[in-house]
Amino acid sequence: MFDGISLLGAGVLSLLNWASLFNIAWASLLGIIIGALPGLTATMGVALLVTFTYGMPPDQAILSLLALYVGAIYGGSRTAILLAIPGTPASAATTLDGYPLARQGKAGMAMGIATTSSALGTLVGIFFLALIAPLLAEVALRFGSYEFFWLALFGVVISGQLTAIDNPIKGYIAGILGLLVAMVGMESLHGYQRFTFGIQPLGGGIDLIPAMVGAFGLAEILTVMKRRGIPTIITSTDRVIPRFKDVFRYRWTTIRSGIIGTFMGIIPGVGEDIGSWASYAAARRKSKEREKFGKGSVEGLVAAETGNSASIPGAMIPTLTLALPGSAAAAVLIAAMFIHGIRPGPMIMIENPGFVYQIVAILLLTTIAITIYGLSLTRLLVKVLLVPREKLMPVIYVLCVVGAFAITQRMFDVYVMLFFGFVGFILREMKYPMAPLVLGIILGELLDANLRRGLLLSDGDLTPFFVRPISAVLWIVIALTIAMSIPAISRPIQDFLAKRLGLGARGARDG
Amino acid sequence: MSDLDSETLPPAETESGAMIKADLLAGLFFLIVGIAIFYLAWDMPRLETRRIHPATIPGLVPMLLGGSLALCGFLLAVRAARVEPVRNSWAVLGRTLVNTEAIRTFVLAALVLIYTLGLVGLVPFWLATGLFVFAFIMLYETVLAENAAPIARSVLWALVQAIIVAAVVTLVFERGFLVRLP
Repeated sequence: MFDGISLLGAGVLSLLNWASLFNIAWASLLGIIIGALPGLTATMGVALLVTFTYGMPPDQAILSLLALYVGAIYGGSRTAILLAIPGTPASAATTLDGYPLARQGKAGMAMGIATTSSALGTLVGIFFLALIAPLLAEVALRFGSYEFFWLALFGVVISGQLTAIDNPIKGYIAGILGLLVAMVGMESLHGYQRFTFGIQPLGGGIDLIPAMVGAFGLAEILTVMKRRGIPTIITSTDRVIPRFKDVFRYRWTTIRSGIIGTFMGIIPGVGEDIGSWASYAAARRKSKEREKFGKGSVEGLVAAETGNSASIPGAMIPTLTLALPGSAAAAVLIAAMFIHGIRPGPMIMIENPGFVYQIVAILLLTTIAITIYGLSLTRLLVKVLLVPREKLMPVIYVLCVVGAFAITQRMFDVYVMLFFGFVGFILREMKYPMAPLVLGIILGELLDANLRRGLLLSDGDLTPFFVRPISAVLWIVIALTIAMSIPAISRPIQDFLAKRLGLGARGARDG
Repeated sequence: MSDLDSETLPPAETESGAMIKADLLAGLFFLIVGIAIFYLAWDMPRLETRRIHPATIPGLVPMLLGGSLALCGFLLAVRAARVEPVRNSWAVLGRTLVNTEAIRTFVLAALVLIYTLGLVGLVPFWLATGLFVFAFIMLYETVLAENAAPIARSVLWALVQAIIVAAVVTLVFERGFLVRLP
């Protein structure tokens, strides 16, 4: 306990220098701008910024990437409120009440509340990050091949189920495609090259960063440029800095949304988008003014913005302690950590105990930065929204090409970026979620190596995969998740629950 | 015929009709790809000469994944085939591939491919980038725009931006971040 406090103190102190403060200042501002610009997402921003951080010391590189990530998730709320289109997918729920508030002439108030809610959400998430991460790392030290196999499968299945837009099968397909991408190249157990078809660069496998730059960069550019018109911006004249009583009034919604957001962040591959929707749905169920939701409810706005911001520290929990990305942007962070020689995973609290608290300190300082920017730079951020996409998108694509090329300096990675850009675009158009695909790419090696290593240890016997306590919990959850996505099984259960508990189980899920 | 025309149907209905057909095709595609992957994985060497444990063959996980993909593709196709048919859904799906939005996408795809596979490597990076930025802005501000800007103004600003982007990207990455450019 005291160790934790002293390590946290050391983490904050290590950041109180000009270089760190300067990097937090520009990266969080750039993040807000990226998040506010429709079509530029947090994941895309983090993936593109990796190129700029090669020359930096590892701690400053991770600091800049994390500050940009937090800034971008917050920045999306601006567009959601003023334009009714989410700046990042995480702000989709913010649009529901943020835009109606702006139309009622309360744009300033909505922006202020969004800022304080984002800050408070991040603080709730930070609290749980500091509390849970060291404990989880300790538990994870007991994990063997059997547990890691199930954990990888758990991540892909849960992410596929929860991020699916209209059909869980599409989420599972996205996850399987990601795992198959990870199968390409030399496998680690026997050194055999799989699915390379004589193409030499495929021998080393497919790097995550070019794939992410394609799936979140080029695919997003294609999506943005496809649309014809862009709606007009609502300007604000009212007060932006919220009154204390307005913030205090929704304290329980803030705490509840913060907790829900954090736990959605902890679930692998289920990031801010779901954190925001889940918090919004819970707030609507519990609210005394339910009828206002969707028509300009401040409580709805508080829930959505607290939920998405709390997911970021939440997502860092499995990212740091299990090397299991809590969100798509966290997957890029893991890749960046490896590039900079930092190995996330169960050993992190032993090898580098201060690192988790350094992340906590970075998140704390970034929260302060976005609060200052959010409450003061109203006009500048409106100007950002006026940048025409016709002028912005070609620049972003040039950065995608440079970003994909820069890591290994071979054109093959640019072709990988192109491939994932087009495939990602087609999949998105057909409503396949991207998060399970990314998670699959990063977890494929973990799943493959641990399944076969486990089988080797047990001499081909599958029993240890099912009877070891943690393994048993994981496979039962996976089996239940898959079973619940089959309507023939889930419908009778939901109807039974609805009858027994007198609850609208299906309605609650939809809400 | 007019009452059957998909344009008279509400947008959500036409959209879902096209999506159901797209799901059917995608389901069949994933079924075939899944089976093909399963076959390739089955056919992978078992490395018996190296006396590896038979449960650790390289094709094990790809085989499981190929099978799972085929199963999911099959379920997706069956689900799409069993949904009550929406009027003219094949025609609606066809139309989504030739409407204005599709044309905007195809033009961008062509621009991106010409720049990345053609120009980069053939001419210096700064020139390729300048040409790409110029062509992009011109096409989307004039030919493909709903309210086209005056040509002379677009040409001028596209040229200015193309030069600035080409110069800044080259200088910042090559000199500032010491990153080699393609």
